[in-house]
Amino acid sequence: MVSILRKLLLTGLVLGGLASATPSIAADVQQVGREAYLKALKGKRVIFVPISQGFDLNQAWVTVWQRHAARYGFTLEVRDPNMNTEAGIRALTGAIAEKPDLLIVQNPDVQTYARQLKQAQDAGIPVLQVNMQSATQTDSYVGNDWIEMGRLEMGELAKACAKGKGPSTKVVWLAGVETGAANIYMRQGINEVLAANPDLQLVSDQAANYDSDKARQITATVLQQHPDLCGVMGIWDNAEVGAGAAVAAAGKSGQVTIVTNGAGSQTGCDSIKKGLLTVIYNFHADIQGEIAAGQISELLQPNRKAASVKDVFFGPITRVDKTNATDRNCWTLDELK
Amino acid sequence: MPGFPSFRLTQEEVIFCITVVLIGAFSLFLPKFLTAGNILTLLNNVATLGILAVGMALVVVGRGIDLTMIAVMVIGVAFSIWLSANGLPFGWALVVGGLLVIMVGIGTGTLVAVADVPPIFATLGLASVVYGAGRIVFKSDVVYAPTGYDWFTFLGTGTIAGIPVSVCAAALLAGLVALFLRKTRFGRFIYATGDNPFAARTIGLPTRPVIISQYAASAFIAFLSGILMCAVVSGINTRLYNSTLIYDVLLVVVLGGIGLSGGQGGVRNVIVGTILVGVLTNGMTILNVSFTAQNLIKGVILLAALAIDAVLNPRDEQTSQSGDI
Repeated sequence: MVSILRKLLLTGLVLGGLASATPSIAADVQQVGREAYLKALKGKRVIFVPISQGFDLNQAWVTVWQRHAARYGFTLEVRDPNMNTEAGIRALTGAIAEKPDLLIVQNPDVQTYARQLKQAQDAGIPVLQVNMQSATQTDSYVGNDWIEMGRLEMGELAKACAKGKGPSTKVVWLAGVETGAANIYMRQGINEVLAANPDLQLVSDQAANYDSDKARQITATVLQQHPDLCGVMGIWDNAEVGAGAAVAAAGKSGQVTIVTNGAGSQTGCDSIKKGLLTVIYNFHADIQGEIAAGQISELLQPNRKAASVKDVFFGPITRVDKTNATDRNCWTLDELK
Repeated sequence: MPGFPSFRLTQEEVIFCITVVLIGAFSLFLPKFLTAGNILTLLNNVATLGILAVGMALVVVGRGIDLTMIAVMVIGVAFSIWLSANGLPFGWALVVGGLLVIMVGIGTGTLVAVADVPPIFATLGLASVVYGAGRIVFKSDVVYAPTGYDWFTFLGTGTIAGIPVSVCAAALLAGLVALFLRKTRFGRFIYATGDNPFAARTIGLPTRPVIISQYAASAFIAFLSGILMCAVVSGINTRLYNSTLIYDVLLVVVLGGIGLSGGQGGVRNVIVGTILVGVLTNGMTILNVSFTAQNLIKGVILLAALAIDAVLNPRDEQTSQSGDI
């Protein structure tokens, strides 16, 4: 009898406590800083001038940013010049005139946009550069550590094609566009590895212009001159599949190591599985996009003045071969939405 | 012309001589240039260019120009791949893609023949319409071919008697078009229309159907070369539309000696031009000349060829009035 009474009393106390506590939780709790964060982002206007939205990496970034924009109420406009630098300059000049709250730029090379970016900064517009840098440093750069990328790729070949390891010590560098920032910096990394490994012979050093058929033609021609070729390194998985096709057509699939880098899309993993590529240094465009999304939030804060601080954020790089060409190393756009 | 020897070389012969000199020089200085393997690689590398140039030649002979070829090639093939990704067997998808491409060609031809839009503007405009429409459907520049079709793999990597399939296909197509131009009545109509469209119409030739079918044929030939390219690298790079490829095709045609004023030249000119570009590119790649410098050298050679031709075959009243672009 006493125990029943005690139970009833306890239950009453607990229920009463809950009833009095609940309303106060619903009314007042604020996540620290959230209000200011929402206010900083809401209604802001961000313009992105890419090289082209036809690239897998660009699609990954924009997918991530659009999700971010939809959640926090800012707008993202993409002004795609589709590989045309003239149109790019026009898009950029137009965007500067509109005075957006933030400008995101992917540079076709180090010089083309250098002046416009300085103008934007002088006009008080914060500028975030993604993956391809300009000679003008702006508020923030999010993208690859391209010198490290060059060292990683040539380092891979230095291992596979060391004296006595491979069929020869001959390697090929299939560049993209010679004046592009990625090329210039990767070349620096390559030179460092070549200097440290004097046995390695760079037998061909040509630009494939990010085109798979051009990559195939160069590789096929070089294979005729150097049938004992040991390795090919390139700059974009979607182009180096052409090098893989040339190697396969020459019947040298096991012999030639093909190393490249890529955004980490499923098509890259498929190319590894098809045997067209040996290793992709995956720079996870999806994660780059998330880092850049963080930077977008940062640069939209009211207390951040344009060009007051100059940040650099290098994204992750994962070595992907046929043992780990799965799951998190191979995204599809639908998964990022 | 005093001071000049009395013999005359046609532009085709000039280009042929330059090619022979280049082959000689490369063979002397590049030890592995003149090997069967390298020659086959060289031919394989220009097979798609050659096919495109044959298509372009058909139009240029008829006093037109088809700048839609690259757009039609990449979008036609990408469209077929898209169809097959949506469940249609790849073979049928290519058939549908081919039909669509022919329709586009007929459209281009109609604009030129019936609406009388100058071909350079009609095709320039249509090229961006075709490419733009494609870009709305396919988000990515690079579209990968479906796997698991043996015949398609064979097209890309197979050989017939040691010769790559794409080289065989290019040779076969060149032969067919040459026969068509030289031996059929319709082929002669093309020359007649190209030489003087007004005279051709006056004597009762069906000039409009001739022009329309030329563009349909060039579009279809562009599609065929796209299929080959796609088979070779297991995908198609639609961004080729933005590359200098269309100018390379024109370079081959003009270099080979087919005048843009129409009515002259044939497949043999295309072959000579294609081989010169192939030899030049192959040699420069072996010599490790940079991509930018390669384009520069190609441009200089084109100018030189045109200049030599202008000296050897000076323009007269007739050629200067015949509607050269």
